[in-house]
Amino acid sequence: MKTAIALFTALTFATAAFAVEVGKPAPDFTGTDINGKTIHLSDYKGKIVVIESYNSDCPYCMNHYKTGAMQETQKDLAAKGIVWLIVDSVNKKNFSYRTPEQARKELADRKITATAWIDDNSGDIGHLYGMETTPDMYVINKDGTLVYDGAIDDRPEPFGDPRTAKNYVRTAVAELIAGKPVEVSQTKPYGCAIKYAD
Amino acid sequence: MRRIVFLFSACLCLAISSRAQPALPSIGGGFSSAHHTQVKLLLSADTAKPGDTIYAGVDLKMEPGWHTYWKNPGAAGMATEIKWQLPPGISADEIQWPLPEKFPPIEVTTYGYTNEVMLIVPLTLASNLPSGEIDLKANVSWLECKDVCIPANQDVEAKLKIGNEAKNSADAATIESWKSKIPRRDENWAIRAQWEKQAGGDVRSLIIEGTVLRQTKIVRIDTADFFPDASDNFEIQAATEKVPNTNALFCLRKIVKKFSGNWPKEISGIVTLEGSIGHENIEVNLPVVGQSSVGETTSAPDSSSESRTGVAPVSNLIEKNAETGATPVLPLMLLYAFIGGLILNIMPCVLPVIALKILGFVSEARSSPRRVRALGGIYAVGVLFSFLVLAAIVIGVEAAGHQAGWGMQFGSPVFLVCLTTLVTLVALNLFGVFEATLGGRTLDAAGNLAARHGASGAFFNGVLATTLATPCTAPFLAPALGFAFSQTAFTIVSIFLTVGLGLASPYVLLSWNPAWLKFLPKPGAWMEKFKIAMGFPMLATVVWLFSVATSDYGSRVFWLGVFLVVLAFAAWIFGEFVQRGRKRKGIAFTIILILLAGGYVYALEDKLHWREMIDETDTTSLAEPSGGIDWQPWSPEAVAQARAAGKPVLVDFTASWCVTCNAIVKPALENASVSAKLKEMNAVALLADYTRTPPLITDEISKFGGAGVPLVLVYPKNPGAAAMVLPQPSPLQLPSGYEKIVLDALDRAAH
Repeated sequence: MKTAIALFTALTFATAAFAVEVGKPAPDFTGTDINGKTIHLSDYKGKIVVIESYNSDCPYCMNHYKTGAMQETQKDLAAKGIVWLIVDSVNKKNFSYRTPEQARKELADRKITATAWIDDNSGDIGHLYGMETTPDMYVINKDGTLVYDGAIDDRPEPFGDPRTAKNYVRTAVAELIAGKPVEVSQTKPYGCAIKYAD
Repeated sequence: MRRIVFLFSACLCLAISSRAQPALPSIGGGFSSAHHTQVKLLLSADTAKPGDTIYAGVDLKMEPGWHTYWKNPGAAGMATEIKWQLPPGISADEIQWPLPEKFPPIEVTTYGYTNEVMLIVPLTLASNLPSGEIDLKANVSWLECKDVCIPANQDVEAKLKIGNEAKNSADAATIESWKSKIPRRDENWAIRAQWEKQAGGDVRSLIIEGTVLRQTKIVRIDTADFFPDASDNFEIQAATEKVPNTNALFCLRKIVKKFSGNWPKEISGIVTLEGSIGHENIEVNLPVVGQSSVGETTSAPDSSSESRTGVAPVSNLIEKNAETGATPVLPLMLLYAFIGGLILNIMPCVLPVIALKILGFVSEARSSPRRVRALGGIYAVGVLFSFLVLAAIVIGVEAAGHQAGWGMQFGSPVFLVCLTTLVTLVALNLFGVFEATLGGRTLDAAGNLAARHGASGAFFNGVLATTLATPCTAPFLAPALGFAFSQTAFTIVSIFLTVGLGLASPYVLLSWNPAWLKFLPKPGAWMEKFKIAMGFPMLATVVWLFSVATSDYGSRVFWLGVFLVVLAFAAWIFGEFVQRGRKRKGIAFTIILILLAGGYVYALEDKLHWREMIDETDTTSLAEPSGGIDWQPWSPEAVAQARAAGKPVLVDFTASWCVTCNAIVKPALENASVSAKLKEMNAVALLADYTRTPPLITDEISKFGGAGVPLVLVYPKNPGAAAMVLPQPSPLQLPSGYEKIVLDALDRAAH
């Protein structure tokens, strides 16, 4: 009996840690973007949504942006009507935290195309989705189901050209648009650990 | 056009980032991007022979707060990589990683290193390599993180000479000590992994449990953990949960998350254990068997798993142990302790003190039986008191986190010098050079002072008997002590006191039975002669202690001899002028003080440097190829290497201060028939020198249920079979008798 209880709690804890599960509805969240606007995930129901966990100084993210690969993906997908949400869960005390003004400047400097950059310095959204690293990507279907959770591509390096790698997000979106099932729905995310407020 | 611009800027960024220069744009903002890690390449040899394997140590020294990553970085991060540029004929093996730490937070746990880590890489040299000097180069790339992460890389190089004679480099010792921190396989442990439940979803819990194969003493595991190797299709989460399980020594639950494909059939990683065995890090490769409820002993999985890991399933072993009844309990151990203490009385170490005891009895026998009983009791108190002190030392050592060993105080040079001085004084006292009374007055009122002399003398005899007993072990004593060392303080104290009772019991019994005293000769003039004669065995003990000190001090030990002579001279002046003299006592005292102070400052401190041992040279003093055996120095790697080659291994744990080792075991091993047998079996002979009680050897001895030396192991030819522990030599056993035991074990090892 005691074993059963322990097991149950362990698995609950485990599943709670992975509050999102591919194939299930993606949990709704509320956040504030760097322009002060309140964003709900449910605002975008009916559209394909890509969520990117972001850290301005993480070498892995930086490599994607410095090479321009990430901006290219964002622009290409935006042209297809995809919603792109950047979630920055770095806590306020950390070096890599960006105030809304700094973030707006960075968005312009780096030529980022995104529907919204959400300031998640409390870490609520990050914890809700079990985000572990930056970059960590999520793709949500038009009906709100999570279809992809994991790394942006199969090349966990902080240098080199990401365009040479297989981009799981692009592939998943293409499959969704073509009405096909998403083949690779879960991979191990790579990158820097998220600087949560702990 | 845009594409070209992009590519160009990408190349530029590539060039910049791969150099990790400060030229990063202000996005990196403000902090110095110089490396926070210093990387060096060290080699274990200055010169190596073609065909040899040497070890390269890639040393990463991180600034405080910065860390680098393990081969499995965990939820985030990047493992350090080494890209070798080696001349032809040299090949580098996989990196051997020391055990990492876990970094929080728990949701994003990573594995890595802080402060410093040395990654070990075996380099194999081709046998046809030409002589000369070669350049070994490598590019080391890593990710260093504190609040931010910075990828970095650095070129390192080292030079190596190829020649006819191998020569270690100055870094060989450091490399060796880092090598010893690398987890290895351990056949003494039976460990297995199984799923706890049927698969459902992409998260599943895994149970890892294990027990020790040879359970000759109680092993207690306080903490256990599992560090998984990296894998693409699944992730073993960092959180570890301890699971109560009466059938295994440790049992943990890990959560496994699957990304793609099927659930893994096999997991690999490091099991880390901490407990009565000290620290142990075991490399494991475990097939994952189907689920069962935790705590049940399931029927054995198919035998393929057994041959795979070379180890029987945990449940089988536990049943086997229950059959042989090899689970010791405290009362049994106490019985062993008592018998062991009893036998100690006839071990060569304690015999000189016996003579004193007999003397004491005879001189007291003329007084009242009550007096005799009291003295017997005081002797016992002296013994028990000393054992209490020993127990306290063991408890203290273990509380400090080190492994304790029986006889370990002989590894301390200060102890050795003090004991040698003490025994010298006892010998001089027996020779009649001075009297050992507390009051300074000699035998005036025979009744009173003899009584006082008797009491303090009896106590002191008890202490001396215990101190001299420690370099000896006896049968029954070894398992009792081995058991004690792994237990609670209370158990340690009770077992030690029981040994003391065993040691003191003959005299207590004798003193309680005055009838037996009738068999002792009547006191007379012979007593004086007997007393002087007993000084000589004491002197022999001094010589033995002196020779032990030689291994600590080398040729400096000459000054210890000088100090002892000065001491003897001072003792004579004390006896002659202070005790027996009438006038000029003051001057005599002054001279004595000058002699002692001068002897201490000049001989002990200045010349002998009595607190420092000489640098440990190789163990040639112990490992002289006598009897034709080619002793190699023991190390866990040497054992593993020999076993991997399918050779049986003979290991002799010995120390220069260990009387049983040198009197019985050494002559038994180093003779023609044993060496012939070893050659015939193509066996490897390893010598583990415990003289300075190095912790690595203390740990190893405790793994086999021993408390100290001697310990002789025979590893059979079959790499999967467990080691055979040879029984302790009994006191009356001649070397020839022990030799038979060794030959018999070697016979069994050949199959």
